[in-house]
Amino acid sequence: MKKLNIFIAAILTLVWIPTQGQTNKGSVLIKNATVLTVTNGTLEDTDVLVENGIIKKIGKGLSASNVTTIDAKGKYLMPGIIDAHSHVALDAVNEATAPITSEVQMADVVDPFDVGLYRALAGGVTISHAMHGSANAIGGQNITLKHRYGTYNPEDLYMKEAPRTIKFALGENPTRVHGRGKNIQPRTRMGVEAIIRNGFNEALQYKKSWENYNTALKQKGATPIPPKHDARLQTLVDILDGKIIIHCHSYRADEIYALINTCRDFGITNIVFSHVNEGFKVAPELAAYTMGASVFADWWAYKFEVYYSTAYNAAILTENNVITSINSDSGELIRHLYHEAAKTQRYGQLSDEQALALITINPAKQLGIADKVGSIEEGKQGDLVIFDEHPLSVYAIPQMTFVDGVKYFDIHDDADDMRIKVSATDTVEPIFLKEHDHNCMHGVDFFFNNFGRSLFQHSH
Amino acid sequence: MKICTNHKLLSSLIVAVFFILSLKTHAQSDPSGTRRVSSSYAITNATITTSPGKTIQGATILFKDGLVTAVGTNVSIPKGTDILSGDSLFVYPGFIDGASSAGVSRPSDPERPANFDSSNPTDEQAGITPWRAVLDHHDKQNNAIGDWRKAGFTIAQLIPDGGMISGKAAIITYGSGYSTNILAENTALMARFRGSRGVYPGTPLGVMAKFRDVYKNAELSARHTKLFASNNGLNRPEINKTYQAMYPVLDKNIPVIFEVSNDLETRRALRLQKELGFKLVLSGVTEVEHLISEIKASNAIILLSLSLPEDKTKSKEDATEEYKARTTRVKEAYQQALKQASLLEKEGIKFGFATAGSKSGDFMKNLQIMIENGLSENTALAALTIHNAENLGIQKFAGTLEKGKLANMVITTAPLFSKDAQVKHVIADGYLFDYETKSKKSATESSNTGNTSIAGEWEYTSDTPAGSSGGIMKIEGSGSNLKGIITYDDPTGNGTAQADMKDIKVADNNLSFSFNVSAGGMDIRVNVSGEIDGSQFSGQISLGEFGSFPMNASKKPTSLNF
Repeated sequence: MKKLNIFIAAILTLVWIPTQGQTNKGSVLIKNATVLTVTNGTLEDTDVLVENGIIKKIGKGLSASNVTTIDAKGKYLMPGIIDAHSHVALDAVNEATAPITSEVQMADVVDPFDVGLYRALAGGVTISHAMHGSANAIGGQNITLKHRYGTYNPEDLYMKEAPRTIKFALGENPTRVHGRGKNIQPRTRMGVEAIIRNGFNEALQYKKSWENYNTALKQKGATPIPPKHDARLQTLVDILDGKIIIHCHSYRADEIYALINTCRDFGITNIVFSHVNEGFKVAPELAAYTMGASVFADWWAYKFEVYYSTAYNAAILTENNVITSINSDSGELIRHLYHEAAKTQRYGQLSDEQALALITINPAKQLGIADKVGSIEEGKQGDLVIFDEHPLSVYAIPQMTFVDGVKYFDIHDDADDMRIKVSATDTVEPIFLKEHDHNCMHGVDFFFNNFGRSLFQHSH
Repeated sequence: MKICTNHKLLSSLIVAVFFILSLKTHAQSDPSGTRRVSSSYAITNATITTSPGKTIQGATILFKDGLVTAVGTNVSIPKGTDILSGDSLFVYPGFIDGASSAGVSRPSDPERPANFDSSNPTDEQAGITPWRAVLDHHDKQNNAIGDWRKAGFTIAQLIPDGGMISGKAAIITYGSGYSTNILAENTALMARFRGSRGVYPGTPLGVMAKFRDVYKNAELSARHTKLFASNNGLNRPEINKTYQAMYPVLDKNIPVIFEVSNDLETRRALRLQKELGFKLVLSGVTEVEHLISEIKASNAIILLSLSLPEDKTKSKEDATEEYKARTTRVKEAYQQALKQASLLEKEGIKFGFATAGSKSGDFMKNLQIMIENGLSENTALAALTIHNAENLGIQKFAGTLEKGKLANMVITTAPLFSKDAQVKHVIADGYLFDYETKSKKSATESSNTGNTSIAGEWEYTSDTPAGSSGGIMKIEGSGSNLKGIITYDDPTGNGTAQADMKDIKVADNNLSFSFNVSAGGMDIRVNVSGEIDGSQFSGQISLGEFGSFPMNASKKPTSLNF
């Protein structure tokens, strides 16, 4: 422990150097830990060497010169936790004004000052999937963030190597906002399906019109007229071309099954279902045709479509070979996703490895980044968390969190005020109000639901 | 006889002509006495700063018909020149405002039909009106212009108010009321990260996407138009006034002015510029300390905000340890905010000032604070004069005091940025405006508030995360006997609603009141409070647990004010 403290000071200087252009990459040697690799079992009394942001070597008796060494004897080292459904660090969440808004990009509104990022790091979360809200049948393009907290530049948080993803939403939220709120399609689940199918069909026509134009352009002396530019349809074209992974807010088995059919009709295989409270009813279909399900451990009954739910959902899905993850969708839950994962051992008796996969390699697969993060393997990025106890124990507390080998959280160097930017005029930080905002229906209720009269608390 | 008759006829004609001429002369005889005797002036024996850092003692400046004809210590004064004794006076080039909203009103939003589809609004409903000219929505009699002229401003670029792309800016002088005062029209396109309430685009997310969409389709529209003009057998281009109004931006003939309120918005504007390649002016810039390299790389013109945050952490006697600990960083942030101008200067980034969003009453006080925090006086003056002349492309005829430039100057009783300095005269477009100066004691008193009546019709706007909304406040009565009605956009999405204003209180320059909004069977108490500065109000609108949002209002001028 003493040794650990000495090295804290050494590393501190590494952590708070503001980044310019390239993001910080660190080197660190963590010694004598119980390494939970997730993909390769548990390695007792093992060292992990991270060099320049990448896990260089895993083994015993490692040494490296000029590299900070941390003695983690008696402690547990696991891969950085990945949250496949989050709204932390976003200035705006819902462009709730049209049933399809595939042209909007969450990358445009990333707020690097959100202290929620630091709280997530304190819960061992190194990557979150910052998503558009669930107001629209087809929402905006999401952004996968690495929690490189401390920067002023939103782009430093982007995980640039992650593939593009997009938010879809089924059921009550889009029908409430657009159908009931504004009397336009969709008003029912049928309408949601129609919106999505029409969108894809229009996208096919759009693709064709540009293909025709580009073909005509190649002919000598031709002067074709360019079609209109439409980023909304172009994004849908990119989904059809397999360049974007869909993450779809959903609850009921019928709507999940319906979207699976829609995707099959259009040849789309890159789809992950989020929430999926009735997923256990369609587990074989989810296993066969999708990139899996991202669920809550035990959160339901906050509105009608979420009554038929079970805490065994994650376990049933896992045992049916669905790639399953547990997400937060909340600035609070994101701080203890390891507890959420552990609940699957109480409800479903999942093994340690299965439970840890729910918050590491599985969400990595769903975000298309499993070749880079999600487990402790040589060649992967140095996103690591040191726990004092086994992370699935109720007594576990994260001690240190590393992203790209750089330490961003240390429980022994955890100042009261970790905000990056402070307002010159707010003498009281509106913490409660802000935390309230990190959810799927952020920015929607007030203006679209009679001041949120009936459903203000029901935010997912 | 014949001749005689002719003579008679001739003489009567002559009489008639004289009569008409004399009538005309009579019409111009200026019974109100406001017409000036001469358009030729000399200010003698003054301390004249011709440009930042260049000061001549005991100098004379001569100007005629709005043009400087001579500056120096050896100037002979022709006959018929109105001489203004400049002994103990200080003359500076008139200030140029990079972006002003003085006298600019926001065109009212078009009515929404009953079957309005919020997902597919017209450009106008979505706040996209690049074809609008600011001068069509400008009241040149507005008090705000006089307030800013009194502060020393003589030329301003007016920016149109409205939605995300509100229209084209123009450059005017603050000269005579008899002139149109227009120096240039369509000088820039104005853009903001301002969504349209309940309409696509409603949030910064949508605004970013829609800006790209408008820009790229304008490019395609331009290409189509060119192809059609030079080829046979092509479909006609669909004429679209939005796209057409974007062409000067695509051709880089005019820049886009992006109004930004914090560093994240600045980054968003820079992001759009990087992707699309337009010429960029950033207006209302704050929080530059972590943006230096990005600003340098962008070549954007920087218009720094003239407003500064209020010091909320002034030392108070009963401050607890908890309060002190909690506000240490707030204080640091406040102090950092005061250093923005000096930071840009140190980094060698040229910038101008913009008054939009700031109060004329705070102008000199804020400049003095910036200077106390490291800004040099020369750079402060440059940011008000020559830098903005260059930023607006009018340096050929404005920005300094030299022969051949327009006669715009501000004349003070002491060196410009000193505490004792008061503006005694402003020359705008060659016209002389005199101001009363006060003895030292009363000089600290606020000049343009005091007994301003708040009664009247106020137009307000409020920016919320879901877009901008607004309405009218009608206030009657005075003192403690104030009554009022406020209109607001109906939260359920259609039309406007109104409510009685309650507990209207005016103390010093603070106005506060509340009103109830009922929506879906629920009453929400809305509290408003803020500061009045002449005909401007700026404050916060608080919607209980939904949070507080900025609210600004301006009083519609009554005919009495003209």
